[in-house]
Amino acid sequence: MKLRAILGYSAAGVTILVTLLVPFFLMGQFAKGFASLGLHVDEVYSGGPKARTIQSAGYSIDIHRPVFPHMLQTEKPFVQLDWRPVSALPAHVSETVDVDGDGQPDIRVSFDVPENPKTPLRVNVVALNWKYQSMENVSKEKYSRLIVRVDDAIIVRVPLARP
Amino acid sequence: MATKARVLKPAAMPPRSIGRSLLLTLPIAVWSLLMFANPQRHLIRSEKVASLITAVFMIALFFLMMRTGSTYRWRRFFFVALGVLFPVGFIHTVMVMRGTMGIPIEEMIAGRTPFCYLPIPLLILPAAFTKSLVFPGSLLPGGGMSGAGMAAMAGMWLAITLVVGKGWCSYACFFGGIEEGMAAVRPRAKLRKIDPRWRYGPWAVLLAMVLLSLALFEPAYCMWLCPFKAVSEYVAARNTVGMVQNGIFVVLFAGLVIALPLLTKKRTQCAFFCPFGAFQSIFNKTSAFDVKIDRARCSPCVLCKTACPTMSLTDESIARGETLMSCMKCGACVDVCPKQAVVWHIKGTEVACKPERARLMFLYAAWAMAVMFGGTVIAGGLATILHVFV
Repeated sequence: MKLRAILGYSAAGVTILVTLLVPFFLMGQFAKGFASLGLHVDEVYSGGPKARTIQSAGYSIDIHRPVFPHMLQTEKPFVQLDWRPVSALPAHVSETVDVDGDGQPDIRVSFDVPENPKTPLRVNVVALNWKYQSMENVSKEKYSRLIVRVDDAIIVRVPLARP
Repeated sequence: MATKARVLKPAAMPPRSIGRSLLLTLPIAVWSLLMFANPQRHLIRSEKVASLITAVFMIALFFLMMRTGSTYRWRRFFFVALGVLFPVGFIHTVMVMRGTMGIPIEEMIAGRTPFCYLPIPLLILPAAFTKSLVFPGSLLPGGGMSGAGMAAMAGMWLAITLVVGKGWCSYACFFGGIEEGMAAVRPRAKLRKIDPRWRYGPWAVLLAMVLLSLALFEPAYCMWLCPFKAVSEYVAARNTVGMVQNGIFVVLFAGLVIALPLLTKKRTQCAFFCPFGAFQSIFNKTSAFDVKIDRARCSPCVLCKTACPTMSLTDESIARGETLMSCMKCGACVDVCPKQAVVWHIKGTEVACKPERARLMFLYAAWAMAVMFGGTVIAGGLATILHVFV
């Protein structure tokens, strides 16, 4: 038998062996390998990593690191703030938030917290610092300007003003 | 030539004995039991019945493949069942979990967008440059309807691709079955003359979508061109752009998946449009198996060329004794050849050397993957229906 044929049959045999390993071993190993590549979901979707937390009366506000979209991405830069838990929020939230942690208020955020989780949310944001953009009666227009309820948090994304 | 092709009949291969066919089916029967009878999974009655039916279905189809020597004819039953039952199970799940097929932005932010394999080629360049996955799912368990996450789907894709290469499109893809079913409805094609240049369509779409996904940092194919959004899920339309996107999905589905397969008897979405299919073609080069034409036996009647659902055979390729790299190893050409000149083949061996051995080795690998992946999907869809009655 020619060497090429031996190699061919060997490859076919290995393929069948690999088949047997797929559900019990390979699939899991490949998934682990993929997960260990250090990849992360694009921050436009995930909102970026949490930078710090502000404690308020019975609830907290998680402030995320600002997200700057890539080259031609059709979103503006934004910062995400999470109010949680929803059950501890008052019926109407209106407060100033120090987003960048410099001790000065940067934005005033106000929104209603309806009891029905399916009720659409609306938010008003007044920029007290030139770095942030004001928003009026915004719901969920774009990834960079929205208010949504996700599980036990109300997420507000405030667009950053371009310098 | 074409007239002659129409009057030729495939040479009937003498059937294997029932005993020998059963013996050859035994490994797949054991495999099916392993896949469906996992005692660690706690199934409700409808799921148990669905698993049993699916296991018997998959074993019976393999037995018939062994008995008759025909591959495509029996594989098609599996593939159409997969194509029909995947949307049944999936749509039921999304309707139960969120009450709509539209993915609200909240779910995307939460990383709960179900991840299928179609955007995999679109994610590679953005991930290579920025380590970002431009898909609103989750990497680890907790994301998607299955709760499996992108890593699990990527792992499954890579493992199955190692085994079957482009055969994914015939033994694992849960979308292509709808087209294959539609292509089987009419006995003859209404549209017979198709410009062969359409064959480059998937590569053009792949190139455009990869570049667009890199530029815009979004899964461009999922956002704008995936026909199967019409039978799975779509971005909930919040504005005019969303309405346009959903309109495109419906038009592409109606055209490429329903109407054109009916008229041409081809898998038109796969053959002329699917970027994932083009991407999978690359893995035909790494697969140990392919389909060859024994030129000593070939007339050539071009029945194989007519039968190929993805136009992966041309006069030139037949003269060279091989299929194009887009061949998805469905077996249509092998089944239809009146001279048994189109054969399954293990790379490196002589073309005419024991083609049935090559077929068996390929089918064991491919059918095992079909049972593991497609079979599970079929059982899920079937359980959804049976849940009403059982």
